[in-house]
This record gives sequence, structure tokens and C-alpha cells, in this order.
Amino acid sequence: MASTLSAQRTGAALHKLLRLPPPLRQRTFSVLNRPQPNYPGHVPLNFIERGALAIGSAFGSLIDPYRHDLIASLGEATAKPYFVTRLRHAMISHPTGRRILRDKPRITSKSLSLEKLRQLPENTVGRAYAAWLDSEGVTPDTRDPVRYIDDPEEAYVMQRYREIHDFIHAITGLPIIIEGELAVKAFEFANTVLPMTGLSLAAIVRLKPMERKRFFEVYGPWAMANGLKAEEMLNVYWEEELETDADELRARLGIEMPPNLREIRKKLRDQKRAEKIAREGEK
Amino acid sequence: MVLASTHPSSLRAARRLLELPPAVRRSFWSTASAAAIERKPEIFDLVCVGGGPAGLSLVSALRSDPATKGLKIALVDGQDLTTSRTPGNEGFSNRCSSLTPASLHFLKEIGAWNNVNNIRTQPYHGMEVWDGVSGSKISFDPVDQTPGLLDSLAELVPGSRFAASKRKYETGDPTTVATICENGNLTAALLQQLKESGGVEILDKTKVESINLGPEPENEEALDLSQWPVLTLPNNRQLAARLLVGADGANSPVRQFADIPSHGWDYGQNGVVATLQLDRSFTADEIRTAYQRFLPTGPIALLPLPGNRASLVWSTTAPFATKLKQLSPPDFIAMVNAAFRLLPIDIDFMLTHHESVSPASELAWRETSTNSKSLGLLNTFPRVAEVQEGSVASFPLRMRHADTYTGHRVALIGDAAHTVHPLAGQGLNLGLADSESLVKSIAYGMETGMDIGSCWCLDGYNADRWAKNNAMLGVVDKLQKLYSVGSGPVVWGRSLGLDLVNKMGPLKGALMGAAAGTK
Repeated sequence: MASTLSAQRTGAALHKLLRLPPPLRQRTFSVLNRPQPNYPGHVPLNFIERGALAIGSAFGSLIDPYRHDLIASLGEATAKPYFVTRLRHAMISHPTGRRILRDKPRITSKSLSLEKLRQLPENTVGRAYAAWLDSEGVTPDTRDPVRYIDDPEEAYVMQRYREIHDFIHAITGLPIIIEGELAVKAFEFANTVLPMTGLSLAAIVRLKPMERKRFFEVYGPWAMANGLKAEEMLNVYWEEELETDADELRARLGIEMPPNLREIRKKLRDQKRAEKIAREGEK
Repeated sequence: MVLASTHPSSLRAARRLLELPPAVRRSFWSTASAAAIERKPEIFDLVCVGGGPAGLSLVSALRSDPATKGLKIALVDGQDLTTSRTPGNEGFSNRCSSLTPASLHFLKEIGAWNNVNNIRTQPYHGMEVWDGVSGSKISFDPVDQTPGLLDSLAELVPGSRFAASKRKYETGDPTTVATICENGNLTAALLQQLKESGGVEILDKTKVESINLGPEPENEEALDLSQWPVLTLPNNRQLAARLLVGADGANSPVRQFADIPSHGWDYGQNGVVATLQLDRSFTADEIRTAYQRFLPTGPIALLPLPGNRASLVWSTTAPFATKLKQLSPPDFIAMVNAAFRLLPIDIDFMLTHHESVSPASELAWRETSTNSKSLGLLNTFPRVAEVQEGSVASFPLRMRHADTYTGHRVALIGDAAHTVHPLAGQGLNLGLADSESLVKSIAYGMETGMDIGSCWCLDGYNADRWAKNNAMLGVVDKLQKLYSVGSGPVVWGRSLGLDLVNKMGPLKGALMGAAAGTK
């Protein structure tokens, strides 16, 4: 009798020992026990899943830099802690940024009429944006929705960053070929400090030696200097700046126009072709 | 409490420059003013300057102690002390203090607490303090919540008395953390107590014109008052004090007379006080909680008052305090609600851009996009519904500590001796502890036949209180500095620390004990 009692007691003690403490028990988060999404489309992740997503998408996007979905996941998986919170705080404490957070505008082909933008006067931000979209053959709708950031407002900040990315291309005139994309990413890294933008710079290894040299000598320094000097790009209400003169906006934000990448490449290409023709002529 | 006898500093400096050396001065005074002072100074055993809670409680305690009952006592204050109290529980003063159980014990002992209008005081039983940046918090909750991680681990250790020691403060009757009482209510009670017991000459509406040492004796037989402080009052009345007690506030003239330096610094913050109405009413026997949130600009506290009232103490930067006072009542209410609920940067933004944004609409939309639970807000936290008209006021916050509390025939108590940041609600309690201790020293002196103005008698008081007050002042000052940091490793460190303490019942109990002043 006594022995069964003591056995029972040891069993209970053992059970108590093996059981997780109550605060941990509540927090357990596994494949079987997932929390509710905080906003439509939200996918809650735990620490390990987030880490795996970060590493997986980092390698995936390095192998195929045109997988924008992987780049997007990488951005979301590495934005917390601190980085996206910092951006959100920067927006909250800026009058315009705060207004953006309140209105939560989305940039899509529905919210922005490209037809109307094309009619705007020469050298306005809207016209430059439309012209840039046309010349690169992209639309504002190619952006993925944010899924892996837990706080709804921080998710919006990430979404907004993704949507204004094209505006940064437009006002700096940098194309979406890898070299131009890297210059923009370096600029964004200096400006937003989002880790994904910095990690994307690893794609430098994919550049040709000539391009890499140009990145380190021209576009890299330009991006760093201007990204740090300029105001937060997220605090610009781009929808309201469509009719602003692009030069004026650049001056207000403190951005210098980088050397025109397409022209440089074209010039070099022409030069090479001329040399080739000359060489062939000699033969 | 504050005497109006503070001269402009330039005037004082000039006077000091022109002053003769003390010995000459004395003889000069005695001859020159011999005609003026026709009457000899009246001699009192104890003159207390300042009729605030500290001064009044000192005098009351002296009257209630059999050893000191016979002393001839005068109490001088520049203000009218007989202002009538508000009856019932309509309209609360914005100057409230939380009295710790130790202070309450002292007040009950001297009999003054019986005269306090009890329907205007409110004991509270729980305390919720949280970090405005990280949301980590510490709760002193009489009705305990789920056990913490460390509790569960400690309970696994065989033979652990952890749980038992924790229960000691957490279960049983809901213990009172402190009692909120209007300063006016307490002062009136003490005054009533004095009037009932009699024997004290209360000279209110009487400004102390000057305090000097007494004249040299005219002949060998005459009483030598040359080392006694002599107060000159209007109508050429003079009081010589065997012991002069300075309970005359932060700019104490008594301290200046005794030439005791007081060191410290200004926080550059102002305390904004107001009486608020909450969205729900509490009955007298309900468990009440005090709330405090540490914002980088200063802590904001909501202290319960009877019914649906609450007292606000918001320490914030001087420019923000000015803006808060200018806000219309609805905007002020929205700002107070926002200060407990939103991100610190939201509050800074709303106060910096208050001309262009409406606090009410900012609060409405920010609340929906702020995860207030992660900021440490409780579900039970009440919402402020109204602010009592004309109750918003502010005062500058500083830390000061006198080098010593005693001199020859001089003792300092209360704010005259120390000024402390209100974040721990300790200012008045330290003052009451001072008077309790000083009364003990005087009573001991009386019992052993000492001159109560001598250092022999007073040293006990200084030894008892100075180090204790210095420790409290230091802790409060460091807490203020620790919580002024808005981001970075300091925030992580303090949040970790607070979370750990929150999970350790006995340590929390010890902290509570220290704050409650239990010995």
C-alpha cells in the first residue's frame, strides 16, 4: 500500500518534471498548433521556420536572381527583429509617413492609371515612372503580398517598401538589369537598412568583371552616399508627387542623379563594335 | 508651506557682502536695535517653520508623546492653514500622495488618521508597472495570476519553501500597497488634531521676516541667546527657539539660515497633475490598482481615488508639460489615454505636432494599428473619460539632498531636507518618516535630560534618516535615469531584469516591503 502510494507520488513528480512549465506550455507553436493569422494572407512562422525560410530563399535567389518571390520571402524572413520596426517607427514619427500609414495606399495599376501618367508633362515624377515602366516592360502589379510579418502595420510597411521600389528605379533612372538592380538595392540598403537589400548585394559575384569594377567605382559609392544622405524613401507620398518635377523632388529628397547606366553600356557596346569592325577591317 | 521670505539672489549676495563678521554683527545688532527690540524674544522649546504634512505631523506627534507633551511649541506658516475641506466626495484636489502602510501606522499612532475624511481616501492593493518601450512589466497583484516560469521550476525542487514565502505576501487578505490621500485632507486632519489637543501656538498667515542668532547677553545674569535662532515675525514679534525645525519646503529659509548646503540636479522634467474621471466606477470595497508606465520622456501614473475618480501624475519634458496644460479637456483626455496605450514615438509626435493633429482622432486610428498587449497594456486598464475642470497643473521635478539634517539648534525635515522625483510616490512618506524619527530623538533627549537643541540629541535623528533617505533618493534617481533611455541595450537589460523580478515572488515581496516602508 505504502509502496504504491510512493510509486504514485514519484510518477506524479516525474510527470510534473517532464511537463513544460505553464508559461512555455502556452507558447508551444508547432505544425499541429498554429496561431490565427493577424491579417488576411498572414502566415505565422516560428523561429525555426523563419530561419529555414531565410536561408532557403537566400540561396534560391542567388541561383536565380529573377525569382522575385524568393527575394520577397528573404526580405520578410530577415526583417524582424528591429529592421522593419525601425522603418515603421521612422514613418510614425514623420508627418507624411504617418499619413501614409493612416491611409494605407496601395500602388497597383488600378490605383494608378498609367494612361493618365503618360499624359503628364515631361519630367514629372509620374511621367518618369510611366516611362520607366514602359521601357522596362513591367507593371505595378508584379509585387507579391506580404505574408510572413506578424504585425499588420509592419506588414504594410514592408508592402509599401516593395511597391515604392519601382519609384526609386524611376527617379534614379536605373534599369532592372542586374547591374541597375544592384545599384538600387545598395541605395535602398543605405536608406532603409533592410537586411534583404544588403544580402542582395551578394549578387555582385554574378557581375562581369567590367560591370563589377563599375559598381565599385561608380554606382556603389553613389548608392551609399545618396542612400544615407536622402530622406527615408518610405516617407514620400509618391501618389501625391506624381505631378512634381522629378528634379525638384530629387533636390528635396537629397538624391543626385547617377550616371545613366543604359547610355554608358550602349556607348561601351558601340565602342566595342567599332573596335571589332576596325580589327576586322585591318585583317 | 513655502515661505515668501526668499529674497532675490542678487540682493542676498549684496547683503552678504555688506554683512559684518558675526561677532561684530552681534554687538552691532544688540546696540542698534536695543530700542527696536523692546521686548525680549519669547522663548519656545521648539519652533517649527512650515505647516505642511511634515511640520504638522511633527508637532502632532510631539503633542501625543508623553515625554514631549510638555514642550512649548510654536508653528509658523506664511499661508492660511484653516482653509476648509471639501465635504463628501465631490471634486478632488490634484495634489494627492500615496501613503505607505508605515506612514499610515505613524499617522494612526499619533491619532491624526481618525480626523481624516475617510470617504475621500482610497487604499489600493495592486500595482502594475510597465516599460513603455519594451512592454515588459512587473505586477504586484493581490489576486495572483498563473505561476511564472521560475515559480514552476522552484516548485520542482524538493523541500523548497519558495511557494510558501511567495504566498506570504500574495495570498490572504488583499494587502494594502498604499493609500491615496489628498494632501489637503491630511493637512486638515493634522490641524484638527492639533486644535483638539491644544498647547501649540499656531501662527499661520505669518511670514517669517528673518532668522538670526540672538543678541549677546547684556549682563552676566541675563539669558544668553547668542547661539539661539531668533525668528522675527511681523509686529516686531520675536521667537527664540531652543530647537528650530525647518519643514518649510524645498527653498527652506531655515536651511539657508543654518547654512546647510543642498546638492542635486534638476531633471528638466515637469510633473503634470490632474484629477480624472474613469469610464467605470468602483465601490469602496473593490480591489484597486495603481498603474505606472515608464515612457522615455518620464513616467505616467494613474492612482485610484474613490468612485470613478483617479489622480494623474505625468512626468514629462518641460515643453510637453506646457503643451499639455494648453490642451482643451477632450484633447487632454485623449493624450492621457494615448500615453498609456500608444508607442512612445506616437506620444512624442502627438505632442510635437499638436497644432496640426487632433489627439482624439490620432488616438482613434493609432489604437487600431497598435498592438497594445505587446506594449504591456492590461485588459483591465480603465479608460479616462473626463478631466476635472481646472485641475491640470504642473511643477518642476528635481532632486535635492541637504548635506546634513541637523545643525546647532536646527533640524530639517521633509522637503526642506530632500526633494525626490515622484516616480515612486515617496516624497511625503520620507517627510513623515523624518518627523517620526525626529520625535523619537527629541523624546529620548527629554527622557535623558538633554538639551533638545544640542547635537547630542539631534545626531540620532540625522544618523537614522540621512542614509535611508539617501538610499531612497539614489534608487529613485537611478530608476529615472534607467527609464529615460528610449532604445538599445539598456532597454533590453532593464526589460530582462524587470521580467526576471516579476517571476520571482519573494524578491517582489521584498521590494514591496521596501517600498511600503515596513521595518
